[in-house]
Amino acid sequence: MDYLLHILVMVAIYAILAGSFNLLIGFSGLFALSHAAFFGVGAYTTAILTTGYGLPFPWPLLVGIGLAAIVGLAIGLPALRVGGEYLVIITLALQIIAVAIMLNWTSLTGGTQGIGGVPRIRIAGVPLDTAGRFLPLAVGVAALSLWAAWRLGASPFGRALRAMRENEAAAQAVGKNVVAMKLIVFAASAGIASVAGGLYAHYIAFVSAVSFTIETTIYILAMVILGGTGNLLGSVLGAAILVVLPELLKFVDLPPDIADKLRQVMYGVILIVMLRLRPEGLLPEHDARRARVPPGLGADGLGPLAPPAAADGAVTVEGRDLMKSFGGIVAVRDFSIDLRRGRIVGLIGPNGAGKTTAFNLLTGFLRPNAGTVRFRGSTVSGRAPHDIVRAGMARSFQDLKLFRRMTVLDNVRVALPRQKGDGLLHVYFLPWVVRAEERENLGRAMAVLRFVGLEGQAGELAENLSYAEEKLLVIARLLATGAEVLLFDEPLSGLDPGTMEGIFPIIRRLAEQGKTICIIEHNLDVIRGLCDWAVFLDEGRKIAEGTPEALIADPVLAERYFK
Amino acid sequence: MDLVLQLLVNGVINGSHYALLGIGFGIIFGPTRITHFAYGPIFAVGAYGCWASVAWLGLPVPAAALAGVLAAAGVGALSYLWLYRPFERRGSSHLVVLIASLGLFITLENLIGIVFGTDTKVVPGLSPDIFLWGPVVVTSIQLWQVAALAGIALALFAFLRRSRHGKALMAMTDNGEMAQIIGIDTVRVSLTAFAVGSAVAAVPAILILLKEGATPHMGFIAVFMAFVAVIVGGIGSFRGAIIGGYAVGIVENIGMWKLPTEWQSTIAFVVLFLILLFKPSGLFGRRVR
Repeated sequence: MDYLLHILVMVAIYAILAGSFNLLIGFSGLFALSHAAFFGVGAYTTAILTTGYGLPFPWPLLVGIGLAAIVGLAIGLPALRVGGEYLVIITLALQIIAVAIMLNWTSLTGGTQGIGGVPRIRIAGVPLDTAGRFLPLAVGVAALSLWAAWRLGASPFGRALRAMRENEAAAQAVGKNVVAMKLIVFAASAGIASVAGGLYAHYIAFVSAVSFTIETTIYILAMVILGGTGNLLGSVLGAAILVVLPELLKFVDLPPDIADKLRQVMYGVILIVMLRLRPEGLLPEHDARRARVPPGLGADGLGPLAPPAAADGAVTVEGRDLMKSFGGIVAVRDFSIDLRRGRIVGLIGPNGAGKTTAFNLLTGFLRPNAGTVRFRGSTVSGRAPHDIVRAGMARSFQDLKLFRRMTVLDNVRVALPRQKGDGLLHVYFLPWVVRAEERENLGRAMAVLRFVGLEGQAGELAENLSYAEEKLLVIARLLATGAEVLLFDEPLSGLDPGTMEGIFPIIRRLAEQGKTICIIEHNLDVIRGLCDWAVFLDEGRKIAEGTPEALIADPVLAERYFK
Repeated sequence: MDLVLQLLVNGVINGSHYALLGIGFGIIFGPTRITHFAYGPIFAVGAYGCWASVAWLGLPVPAAALAGVLAAAGVGALSYLWLYRPFERRGSSHLVVLIASLGLFITLENLIGIVFGTDTKVVPGLSPDIFLWGPVVVTSIQLWQVAALAGIALALFAFLRRSRHGKALMAMTDNGEMAQIIGIDTVRVSLTAFAVGSAVAAVPAILILLKEGATPHMGFIAVFMAFVAVIVGGIGSFRGAIIGGYAVGIVENIGMWKLPTEWQSTIAFVVLFLILLFKPSGLFGRRVR
């Protein structure tokens, strides 16, 4: 009986670890291999503070959370600059450094001996010294930790994390500060993992470095993959299966050394088999998340996302003498452009003329080598892309960059401006504010989808849309930022004429409502049919500008364009 | 001063070892872009293949070493065909392939432990010559480590520059998509890369076996140092991997001048951390992203 209860305690501890790891891997797409180190920080903090300083529960646990969060921030630091394989290797390095410290800082950690005699937690004078007595506390703490993880994952902040996972540049382009998000999620994940460490130290009453090595990280990773990335319930299930399953090996008569190795082989094989047969895990991310939208929502128009403004042609954006070179190659030089409220400006020119580079310069995705961008009279060049979006200037991408494994509704919802739910303070301490905001934002998102005609696909995953629908969703997402200036990079390319005709009025209506619009376009019919003004770019320079008719009629430009 | 000289020599010797690991890893990573963690246990397969050939089959050491190299090359090629290729065909993300690679890593490492046991395996009856050069002490195996790098680097250089397969491999490292467009059989090149890279890895593994013996765990630090050498030198650069390996080896040993031995391995990781923080493209690599 006690053995069974022991297994349940271990399930609770590993559920915390798998859930917090899932926040990094599954929700944020940050593949870090240092999770066992966070676990260890929690365990050692508890062991050291209880045995060395006599600090009672729960104080060491709380200190551990803080320390692990700091370590998490330190690990998150390089993640700001590098991704993919680099992040893997650097987190692995920190994992190894952590174990080296546990083994070698003998005066603090007991070295290879570890730290024994961690006192039992006493509640109302009763020591929790058996699995049965410890279990309720373990389950309670695990529930609390998983609640914290769930709250984060299900909040608007969690939605932004998933957007970042799907496409970092696009997340920036809807105004998300991905730098801050990465640091926060690393700190949160590490903090939660350290709670498991604190519990573990009290329960086993002994800590040593061997419990926190890379093998443990892989063990937790197997739980996350088995259960399903991006699904916390899956992590609990994965933890339960992978804690229970190896116990079955105990019924086979094997030397303990071989049994331990077989256990590891099992994790490895489970990882490979799951990835081959069911990479989304036992409980996939999206089953529970399909949007249920009350009918009729969002029928009351765009509201504050497109406040009526005079389409008076006043200049809102001034790009002046912009220059950008890569290595020795100048992509754009001496480029100046004025964008006006209520007007649609077309940027045309042959392939490689520097049109997209010009967009990147205007929206902060590239820093100009020279020149300035002014928006409503203040300089925005040099500011971060998300900052410029929040100021009111947003762009779309030629290659769409949709958040593919998110619903159409979430693609739009994540882009809505100034969400209080993007801050963890609101998520944890003012949940009702976030709830009210979410209700309101659901309506606003639906209004945007109605505006482009995608309200019927709200619950669909973006990756299941047709090409034409994808293009519409790009427009919807851009619109949802509420920005005053909208820069469309080839919004109509690859569409058949019929669909194109359907999108024309959408863009025109936006201009009539006072948005400042600039589009990159190859199709001269579109330029003629849509734009009030056209700017011709070739070899990084502005060759000419004027009304579309005048430019198209110019034989010199025509030759350049069709050469 | 004598100590510094000895440490410097040790650094060059360890550096040769790391550089060799880096070259093998780089040959695989360059064209395939697979973060091949299982490189570690396959490295160990080289050592254990050699040991088993001596201890179980009674082969002389040179023949056993060849057997070890072939064993590693075989397992490396199979890992591509059975594990990575199916993921590639399905167009899985790098992350998925990487996790699968971790799965293979832990599976292989523990299988080696089950088959051979966890005790350190040494080749019996081997006593390396010891040379005294003034204040500096080196062993014949250490000299072999340096010579192995020189020999293999030259051979590989010729292979990559002269042979059809080698040129295709370089082209794919440079631009995989373009290589495919101009009609290079990328599957075959990848298979070659895995076989050659694993064979290269077996050489330092066998030398470690002769120097200090083999343990199932030996692969972890090997793949890690290989990765470090490649990243410090810069991904996609053959020369970079060699310089990266030497840089790590020398820094690690010079660090011991002032630090206690048990922190030695930590030094390399700190160097890696700092390089990634301040110069993510490595010392000689092309731009990242």
